[in-house]
Amino acid sequence: MSANGAIDARAEMLSGAKSLAVAPPPSRERGVTSDLSIDEALLLHSAGWEPVDLVCGVSVVSVPIGVWNWGQGEITVASVAHNAAVKGASDQLRDECIKVHGHGVVGVRVEVEVRTHHIDVELVGTAVRPIDAKNLPASPFVSDLSARDFTLLKGAGWLPVGLAFGASFAYAPRRSAGDVMKQKTQNIELTNFTEAMYSARETAMERMQRSALDVGGQGVVQVKVTEGPMHFARHAVGFTAWGTAVRLVAESHQFMQPQVILPLNDAVVTFEAQSLRSS
Amino acid sequence: MSDSSLELPEAAVRRLESSAFSSGLTVPDFAACLDLGLQPVGLVQGFCVMRWGWYGAGSGYMRGINPYAPGPQNNGGYAETYRCPHGFVSNEHRMWGQNIEQTWVEEAWSAGYGSAYRRMLDEAVSLGAHGVIGVTDRINPLADTGTTEFHFLGTAVKVEDGPPPAGGPWTTYLAGQRLTKSIEAGFMPVAVVATMASVRVWAYCMTEYLMEGSRGWGGPTSPYEVEQVSKAHMAVRQLARKQVRQQLSGDTLHGARIEVANRELSQGDEVIDCTLRGNRMRRFKDFDDVPPPRPTVRLT
Repeated sequence: MSANGAIDARAEMLSGAKSLAVAPPPSRERGVTSDLSIDEALLLHSAGWEPVDLVCGVSVVSVPIGVWNWGQGEITVASVAHNAAVKGASDQLRDECIKVHGHGVVGVRVEVEVRTHHIDVELVGTAVRPIDAKNLPASPFVSDLSARDFTLLKGAGWLPVGLAFGASFAYAPRRSAGDVMKQKTQNIELTNFTEAMYSARETAMERMQRSALDVGGQGVVQVKVTEGPMHFARHAVGFTAWGTAVRLVAESHQFMQPQVILPLNDAVVTFEAQSLRSS
Repeated sequence: MSDSSLELPEAAVRRLESSAFSSGLTVPDFAACLDLGLQPVGLVQGFCVMRWGWYGAGSGYMRGINPYAPGPQNNGGYAETYRCPHGFVSNEHRMWGQNIEQTWVEEAWSAGYGSAYRRMLDEAVSLGAHGVIGVTDRINPLADTGTTEFHFLGTAVKVEDGPPPAGGPWTTYLAGQRLTKSIEAGFMPVAVVATMASVRVWAYCMTEYLMEGSRGWGGPTSPYEVEQVSKAHMAVRQLARKQVRQQLSGDTLHGARIEVANRELSQGDEVIDCTLRGNRMRRFKDFDDVPPPRPTVRLT
């Protein structure tokens, strides 16, 4: 670092190059793996946390034959299968996190595939812990918030407590033959589909909120939803909702008081190497 | 072409001997590179085309001949056997199944990836480079012939007034601002690392039934976890991470990307391939204190 506190990138590069000029002694240390970017790693560090290991959870749950046939109301078996697959994957992710002494998992990538006879769920994220942490928590949290959002949330006095998930599948009941004939020449709302979608949505949202309460959350942030008819059964609609359950750990919410910035740059693209520590 | 010799193709030698340098860096990355004291010396590449053998019936690359052996090609890799709970024999009934790590596939992948990587390094060495930045690697199937092309590309650089690295040029997927931040944070790139793990699922009767939605004999009537397939998915990811960790020697893997591809062969039978790659970084100084980030709102 130069006298005025600004970073001397060349000197740092030279130090790094010199460190590689000598062969390191053989090490049996367990290397850290993470899918965080360098920005996210630095942000975590500024909040007193560090990445530990890349962790995964996968679950494949079967859906019995005949479940998607015509019917009425919720397709309970499919909803149960979906929630079981999410829970199975989430439990595995949490187990892997415990094994590497992590306190939680951030940046979890959620991939769900609903197929005719099975539902596949994959969760991948990075286990993290406070720097110099000694005690393990009773149960690590699982969160799909990025390290950036995690740091911001923590600064505001909140912490993630778990992944909240809810899913529901419902049949769009058949219209009667009379209705089909009557509506053939009309521009008309298909209330069977609208009602099925409403039903699936309300049930899934309720399940998501209940799962947040189950893990001790006060609310859910960054909720994502997917909805629509199943590609293999157009008469069945599905709705899934998930997000990160959060809880206030400070006495009260900490207002971040962001600084307002008004860029006065010309609309010319220029390059400026920015230091992490410049004021 | 030998794996590690400096016998480069004649055209490559001509190109590398030119007085003009070439680079794959964008203008901002190029500027950041100069700011770091890195001198680009040339665009370096490595190729390797691998043909995958026939792994089907009669190939010798099969599961074991009985439920007690994982197969001759497994080389002590991961293997797990599942036995039929029904207790009867039939031609159409899969009495046992296996999850097997396809070590022969992993070795072939590593050979292709490693050869292309070393060939890129050979070009960098011939230019007297200290490192290669902005590395990209592409792995493309060529036609439908079980043939795969591995292609590496990066910009060879010299560190101004810097000593040559002990173990040959260092490499990284990073360039520009992200590389600058890594160096400032005390992480020096060592190498790009990548591994591929492959697990073949030979379904047994219960897996077959569950994956086609039927209950089978005495099977569950409600949703049920398909244990064999779930375990295969977990195993392939764990193997990839284990293999990468073996390459780290205590260093850190940054910006890891994990990608999984599965090919269904029949009901329950599938091949799951997991690729994991990232930047192996070595800490050369402790983190400086990073000030708490200041939230900002941008008015535009």
